[in-house]
Amino acid sequence: MFKIETMQGHDRMSTQDLLLAIGDAVKQGETEFEIEASGQHDIGGPLWHPEGKTLHFHVTNAGQRLGSMCLPGTEIVADGSVSADVGWLNSGGTITVKGDAGDTAGHCSSGGKIFIGGRGGTRTGSLMKHDPLYEEPELWILKNVGSFSFEFMGGGRAIVCGYDSEQFASVLGDRACVGMVGGVVYVRGTIDTYPADIKYLDLDEDDIAFLDGGMDEFLQHIEREDLRQELSDWSQWKKLRPLTAAEKKGKKNHDLKAFRLNDWVKGGIFSDVAHDDFAVHNTLSTGLYRLRVPSWDNAKFAAPCEFNCPTGIPTQRRYDLIRQGKLDEAFQLELQYTPFPGSVCGSVCPNPCMDHCTRGTIDEPIQIGDLGYRSAFLKVEPPKTKTGKKIAVIGGGVAGLSTAWQLARKGHSVTVYDDAEHMGGKLEQVIPRGRLAHELLEAELKRIQSVGVEFVTSYKVDKEKFAALRKENDAVVVATGGTKSRFFPWEGAEHLTMGLEYLKAINRGEKPATGKRVVVIGAGNSGMDTCRGAYEMGAESVIAVDVQKPAAFADEIEYIENLGGKLVWPFFTDKITPEGVYGNDGRFIPADQVIVSIGEEPVLDFLPEDEGIEYFRKSWLVPKKDQSIADGVFTAGDTIKPGRLTDAIGSGRKAAWYVDQYVMGKETISFPEKQQIPADRLSKAYFDKCHHCLLGDPVDDHTRCVSCGTCRDCKMCLESCPEKAITRIQKEDGSWEYVSDPDRCIGCGICAGVCPCGVWSINDNPEKIAMYSTGAKA
Amino acid sequence: MEAVKTQDVAVNDLPWKIEYHADRCTMCGSCVAGCSFKAIKVVTQSQSLTISEGSQPEPKHTHVARPIIKQVASLTDFCRGCGMCEKICPNNAIRPVRNPDSRRTLLAKDNGPIKRGGRTNLNAQRTLDSIVVGRISQMTDPSLDAARHTFDIRSPFGRVLSAKELPFELKDGKLVQASHTPPVDWIYPLIFSDMSIGALSTRAWEAVALAVGYLNEKCGLPVRMSSGEGGMPVKLLESEYLKYFIIQIASGHFGWNRIIKAMPHMVTDPAGILIKIGQGAKPGDGGLLPEAKVAEHVQAIRGVPKATLASPPNHQGLYSIEESVQKMHLSMNAAFGFRVPVGIKCAASATSVSVYNNLLRDPYKICGGFFLDGIQGGTGAANEVSLDHTGHPVVSKIRDCYNAAVKQGLQGQIPLYGGGGIGMTGNAAADAFKMMCLGANGVFVGKVLIQLLGCVGNEQGRCNSCNTGKCPMGICSQNPRLVKRLDIDRGAQKIVDYVLAFDAELKKLMEPIGNSSLPIGRSDALVSTDKAVAEKLGIQYVC
Repeated sequence: MFKIETMQGHDRMSTQDLLLAIGDAVKQGETEFEIEASGQHDIGGPLWHPEGKTLHFHVTNAGQRLGSMCLPGTEIVADGSVSADVGWLNSGGTITVKGDAGDTAGHCSSGGKIFIGGRGGTRTGSLMKHDPLYEEPELWILKNVGSFSFEFMGGGRAIVCGYDSEQFASVLGDRACVGMVGGVVYVRGTIDTYPADIKYLDLDEDDIAFLDGGMDEFLQHIEREDLRQELSDWSQWKKLRPLTAAEKKGKKNHDLKAFRLNDWVKGGIFSDVAHDDFAVHNTLSTGLYRLRVPSWDNAKFAAPCEFNCPTGIPTQRRYDLIRQGKLDEAFQLELQYTPFPGSVCGSVCPNPCMDHCTRGTIDEPIQIGDLGYRSAFLKVEPPKTKTGKKIAVIGGGVAGLSTAWQLARKGHSVTVYDDAEHMGGKLEQVIPRGRLAHELLEAELKRIQSVGVEFVTSYKVDKEKFAALRKENDAVVVATGGTKSRFFPWEGAEHLTMGLEYLKAINRGEKPATGKRVVVIGAGNSGMDTCRGAYEMGAESVIAVDVQKPAAFADEIEYIENLGGKLVWPFFTDKITPEGVYGNDGRFIPADQVIVSIGEEPVLDFLPEDEGIEYFRKSWLVPKKDQSIADGVFTAGDTIKPGRLTDAIGSGRKAAWYVDQYVMGKETISFPEKQQIPADRLSKAYFDKCHHCLLGDPVDDHTRCVSCGTCRDCKMCLESCPEKAITRIQKEDGSWEYVSDPDRCIGCGICAGVCPCGVWSINDNPEKIAMYSTGAKA
Repeated sequence: MEAVKTQDVAVNDLPWKIEYHADRCTMCGSCVAGCSFKAIKVVTQSQSLTISEGSQPEPKHTHVARPIIKQVASLTDFCRGCGMCEKICPNNAIRPVRNPDSRRTLLAKDNGPIKRGGRTNLNAQRTLDSIVVGRISQMTDPSLDAARHTFDIRSPFGRVLSAKELPFELKDGKLVQASHTPPVDWIYPLIFSDMSIGALSTRAWEAVALAVGYLNEKCGLPVRMSSGEGGMPVKLLESEYLKYFIIQIASGHFGWNRIIKAMPHMVTDPAGILIKIGQGAKPGDGGLLPEAKVAEHVQAIRGVPKATLASPPNHQGLYSIEESVQKMHLSMNAAFGFRVPVGIKCAASATSVSVYNNLLRDPYKICGGFFLDGIQGGTGAANEVSLDHTGHPVVSKIRDCYNAAVKQGLQGQIPLYGGGGIGMTGNAAADAFKMMCLGANGVFVGKVLIQLLGCVGNEQGRCNSCNTGKCPMGICSQNPRLVKRLDIDRGAQKIVDYVLAFDAELKKLMEPIGNSSLPIGRSDALVSTDKAVAEKLGIQYVC
């Protein structure tokens, strides 16, 4: 028995001396300790007997940390109450306190048992732990504990019996179990709130077995066996345990949707002005909610060839038909636009269609002129039905004949009047036969007659005849063209030869007087024709002068230059003498003959003067939008402004469009005009550049034609659509249509991106979504 | 041969370049279908090659045409770097990459000044990031434990009287209030600020409002939200939730038609009124709501046709600070029977201290809050020149105002709230804590909220297209096709989570300095490694 009194009179033994003395005694085999302490700390541990025997301590008036770091085999009994931290880091000892424990009892204990016969202070049981290799620690308290009890508890069992604690609002004090992650606290009596991650539960069988099994030992240690009955009504007990990690994971803390549906303003705060179902759409949508929608805009835009052809011939459609094997239809198609595919398209037209051909930006333009020639000798069916309407066309040039051709094919009775002996206007009278084979022209003129057009030649219209024609016909078309050579009032203009008359004479087979040295004023195509004529008539040298860069085709210039001709520009004619031409800069070009070829102006002296017909510079007609100049009188071609042959054909087509509406009494619909397709809509990447030597038959150019703006039925879109939204619909008339299914399409625009022809467009979704309103009640 | 002119706009002139890997692309079309800016398109590209495979030159020609995704070279339909294409691409085949050689700022002025949303892109220096909480309580006085201690995280909104001014008198042995005192509420020191209906989509505005409702009702955090100057939803005005909302009046007075009409139907008072004089993102410039965003409901709530709406730079009826105090504060106080606090929001500027002093000395004690907005504040639309080249940092100005009040012994009487870039680097709690240590009673945030909803805009020129109506997230758009991309509940959830974390983080900062109430003016808790900052703010310089 080691027995010690730590107070000798006023001398108190220090903690250090006491603990060293106890340590020495244990080393010498002592097992029984009777310590009358005076507040010394840390009595009872960590100690172990050399032979493993149990150490018994009986302590009175202990200081803080009684039984700290206590090891298994140490049993401590303290009479009365003890100070703070009893059983601090207890690792296996049995510590009994008969009275109250101070703050932080059992703090960080990880083994053994602590029995408190009274109350526990604040933070009792905080940070208790359980090492799985050993038994879990137990902390039994008869009455209640102070606030912040069992904070950060990680293991073990704490039992708070709640005896004699009715006066407290909570037997666990305020804010128990904060940060608790393990272990369990059994409690009997009222408790305050506990954190959200702690469960407050009824006891199960195992809990009751544990409490029932340990209660006797506890009560024996604190010598209160009398309470066995009172504390054994298990229905009065509950337990607190933290959520397991798995339980914490599964828990959703905040449910905003439930809050919105149950607590928030019904239907949402904007429900008066925003009609919202709160459905959340994917970033991609189909149907109404697509950002963009495709549209198959077949033939919405004109191909560059079509747009730049004054006649308006859609060559891409011809190649479309060729691709389908409909060669005849392709050739016939051109005749819907012009009666002169051979004479104009295939012979004398500068072919602006080819200048703008998309294919020309890849390698070489499609051979559109040559393709036109294929329609030259084609026959056409006369109209099946006649309308009974009579139309007179004055002027048998290309404008008049184009008008007549269009109107006759619609079933009208058309008569063309011309003052010349032969129909054909400039084609017949002016264009050198070398540029246009006469047989070809005659064949095409015959074809015009074949659809019912009557030709009246050598018929000069004056005011009287004009009035008569108006009376006899439902409409009259004035297409007399430009027939008077223009020239400026240069000094010596009387020495000039009129180019138009000169050329006409040649084509009539006459031999007009021609000098050896000829100067032609004007180096456009008619200027070149004049040069050509002069050489043919025996001129030795021909010089064409112009104020600007010659506007004639390169071929024509080359032809003249090969004959030895020269072009001089800029040259501003100042004066003409029998010896030649003077420029305003003093230059002199000697010449025996000066022919002027700077264009022609119309002669319209047969028109009435009292109907308000408008003129430009007193020469040219200014028609209304429908190409009429007076009631029932229309005009076309060079009477409006000087142009190329193809301009005159286009003008005739346009006039016919309106004349037909007029004579049939139809509502006026504007002549259809399309925008040229923007180049960036086309995908030229499909077309491999071919060598310019390898151009073949123009018909074979269907493989080279981009088919700008018109569907070539290649199915690139159909095959490329990632959502398989596109289908092709075959129609009975042989045409087809591609459609995109809105329920599949996401609006990506791949169809537009892969379409070689620029037929597919991708646009902002135009369909309005009625989501917002002003809040007005319906 | 390609036909390109040297002055044509190319993608290399744009702020973002699309990095595209044709080898990974499956042509699923998702990126193009999802891009709200039409910055990418599908084109067909060809590759014509002449190769030789033999042991001597044997030319063999191949030609392949294939579809690819191509960036649009346009100064109007240009890539904003929002990254929706990258997000949506299943194969990581496409993404925007910032282009350091961009010339857009130079070239895109055909239609006048460049406009955009977002924050300043040129003034990203952050005073708050050179400050840390350096006074760590350890042995001297115990730090607090965020998990266990009770913290008082409330700030006043309303004019606070000094004790000696309180009109109490003894009557029958009891202390009773003898006359009216200005209303004061104790609110959470984080105010959701000033993003208008119109600037935001209905869904975005409601998501923020919903979070406010939830934080108040379910989390016990009295967070307040200011309406912005686009009016208030009538349904909200007529609901119990109105008590969590501060109604703003700015120079355009937009929305007050319906607010006033709703007054007889209000079941509760609003949380306050905020008179907006200016905002930090574009000080001295007015509000701007581009036509693209003026949808029917915006037209109705604001009482205007579909047109670009500009608020004037100043209130038409106010010519001086005296008038502002006397007239505007008085009218706003009177409108709600002197029961509702009325505050004022100004852009931080060289004159802030004078204004604050003036308000403090107002004998009628009618101003209930001084909101200072700094240069790093955000906006839905402004001239880029204003965003990048005007403004004033807010940190030192809050400090100056606080010190000016201290000098008079009036600190805390007109609560100071600071904003403009709070949370810009992600942590609003740290910013708020530092602002409070320097003297703010609280902070207000805007951009952070929409970033929580999904906004990807930043100060390095990403997206910032709030002005276009094409917001890819449906936040700053009134296009139903985009608005319906936004999930209200999920967005509100993010805000709630952020604020709860903000609350925990604020406690984590109150812990080490041992404050259980807000550390207003506790500049001793801060240190700076920047000597100039330390000197200007009067805090310890450390290194």
